[in-house]
Amino acid sequence: MPEPPNGRLHHPSRRAVLAAAAVGLSTVLTSTLSGCSAASGSTSGGVTLTFSWWGNDDRAARTEKAVRLFEKEHPGVTVRTSNGEFTSYLQKLSTQAAGGGIPDVVQLDYRQVSQYAGGEAIMPLDDLVKARTIRTSEMDKGLLRTGTYQGGQYALPMGRGITGYAYDSAVYKKAGIPAPPPSWTWQDWGAANKKIAALGLKSPDGRPFTGSNDGGGNEDVFETWLRGRGGKLYAGQSELGFTEDDLTAFWSFCDSLRKDGAIAEARDTVQAKSTETSPIGRRLAAADFTWDAPFPGYTGLLGEDIHFAPVPTTGGHQGSYFKPSMLLGIGANSEHPEEAAQLIDFLLNDQRAGDILGFSRSTPPNRKIAARVAKTLQGPEREIYDYAQTMEKYGLDDPPTAPPPGDLAIQTAFKRGYQRVMYGMATPRQAARELIDEANRELRS
Amino acid sequence: MSTVSTTRAPAGVGRTTDPRPRKSERRQVRERQWPAYVFLSPWMIGAVVLTLAPMAVSLYLSFTDYNLFDPPHWVGLRNYQEMLFEDPRYWRSVGTTMLYVVVAVPLKLGLALGVAMLLKSLGRGQGFYRSAFYGPSLLGASMSIALVWKALFNDGGTVPDVLDAVGIHAGGWVGNPDLAVYGVVLLTAWQFGAPMVIFLAGLQQISPDLYEAAALDGAGRWRQFVSITVPMLSPVVFFNLVLEVINSFQVFTPAFAISGGDGGPADSTMFYTLYLYERGFTASHMGYAAAMAWLLLIAIGAITLILFRTSRSWVFYADEEGR
Repeated sequence: MPEPPNGRLHHPSRRAVLAAAAVGLSTVLTSTLSGCSAASGSTSGGVTLTFSWWGNDDRAARTEKAVRLFEKEHPGVTVRTSNGEFTSYLQKLSTQAAGGGIPDVVQLDYRQVSQYAGGEAIMPLDDLVKARTIRTSEMDKGLLRTGTYQGGQYALPMGRGITGYAYDSAVYKKAGIPAPPPSWTWQDWGAANKKIAALGLKSPDGRPFTGSNDGGGNEDVFETWLRGRGGKLYAGQSELGFTEDDLTAFWSFCDSLRKDGAIAEARDTVQAKSTETSPIGRRLAAADFTWDAPFPGYTGLLGEDIHFAPVPTTGGHQGSYFKPSMLLGIGANSEHPEEAAQLIDFLLNDQRAGDILGFSRSTPPNRKIAARVAKTLQGPEREIYDYAQTMEKYGLDDPPTAPPPGDLAIQTAFKRGYQRVMYGMATPRQAARELIDEANRELRS
Repeated sequence: MSTVSTTRAPAGVGRTTDPRPRKSERRQVRERQWPAYVFLSPWMIGAVVLTLAPMAVSLYLSFTDYNLFDPPHWVGLRNYQEMLFEDPRYWRSVGTTMLYVVVAVPLKLGLALGVAMLLKSLGRGQGFYRSAFYGPSLLGASMSIALVWKALFNDGGTVPDVLDAVGIHAGGWVGNPDLAVYGVVLLTAWQFGAPMVIFLAGLQQISPDLYEAAALDGAGRWRQFVSITVPMLSPVVFFNLVLEVINSFQVFTPAFAISGGDGGPADSTMFYTLYLYERGFTASHMGYAAAMAWLLLIAIGAITLILFRTSRSWVFYADEEGR
């Protein structure tokens, strides 16, 4: 700060110096105090584990309940949990990875496994599996393989998930649309949305009620659409599997439906970050593209009229596939790998944990638990279980190979590219070209 | 620690009367200085460990392909080249940040000066109002206020509702790429407390004699403002301007909170630092993010230098008069 113009500066008074000293001292005090509380947490309680995951409120409540049961069974072990929504969770995790501070038990996305394992952010679990601290005998070999990297087991799948479509059956009935069968097409989907919009229903804040959320910015929806046409997202670890024409066609299709008022407005799509903030969650639309695992959260929020249907097809060719919904790993710097492994084993293989968690992370990987839980399933969880059976019977193409790590960045680029279309900042073709350029740069590096 | 033991006091420090002190005196001087360095040591250790060392690492990383997980490889100027010539989003983020700086800084400083002048004319209760207006600056950097702000400007929030009532049907600002950035601008402008306090101090330093003399000569309030307040306050204006410009280029928290971290909708709040964060922590291109940070540092340095150059023509230092 420059000297005041007139230079009428007073020397600090004794009182001012005292005050400054007091402030200085108080920070010293508070830092020691907080040091105390942190230390007491780990000495009196024995072992403290950290466990983080992403997901909606329903999953959070169930996970907490299972964790508390684990604590009860393992006196001396305290589990500190933290969770968030997907995008910010991933950012936080990569920050933690950079600092070597990954939680002891960590929920991972399929796309992260190779990166985190290769970068030694998570530890190999082979010894813990061999010692049967984590039991895998009841798990499907193919599903287990999704958690491997260069021959080593680094993560364990928590469930087997599949994409789907949550819709409000009461609105569908009102519009005279039958329950969507596995063979329904994208044209059927478009027509259904127009019919719903034509009903002239209003949302709670008085705006027009539309048929569905806008799947245009959702890479998962695009992949399902692409696979229905016999395409794929990636041709290899460094090559895209689709062309500018493919993406232009998809974005033009969504764009025109939105312009017709058949699907959610741009401003609602950009604010949708969770079940609760999605257009259907805010009662602005009748349906939402989603996964099977979060579906129980939809009925919990919106009532029993919400049902689960397949994603539309191209001429009956279904693009959905089963993939590990999420995986569990142990942070490479964990001080208590043994206890962390016990928690993983408990979450995956304990019958009571299985009952509590149910299908909140899709079909449990442990066959016995899946079968046991399936018998007692009710309501929405029964529905997604039956859905998986139906889809298996209908016939699905083989799942693609694991996506490259760059897909995490491409996924957000995809969302953003379509936002530019929605706001008229780029035509579908321009935005598609931009996305492909950006994706290629991402895959190259 | 090493800094403390190896740093020698500059030879000239402590000489007050005798220009050539004898040896014993010099030792005395040194002995008198060591407590100063002991008291400074926490700061110096902090500066080295928390600022200088990370800066050096960051400079090195900016020439590598570091991705958080694998060891970094030297790639020379590759990151800088990609940023400047191949990445359209980089330049869009520069544009968004410039727009923000150009709108937010004058607005914030104008508000700060206006409120400071009102407070100055206030006799009693000035202390209370000064604290009250300063409050938002203390809260403003926090995530929770940004979230409250988001709720205010969101669909069904207070601001769109009030605008609706007076016939402006703009809808929520958060979901509108043309308005979202102004939500962040207003949040910044609302935190005018810090420059306001500095302006107020500056205003109180202006000698009342000047105003009295001007009033005797028949100058009105506006004339007094233009001919006395503005020139006498110009060093303070300059100081606030430099600080705010530097701060504004680094805007992050409000944009992060309001957009939910993605700089949306459609990159409309994708400020430079937010893009830097996304490159580093979502896309794991730490080397690229480090390069972005260095270019930002250079750009802010250059702009500050330009401000200092122009200041010679408009900043008036009373004590330099007649030199």
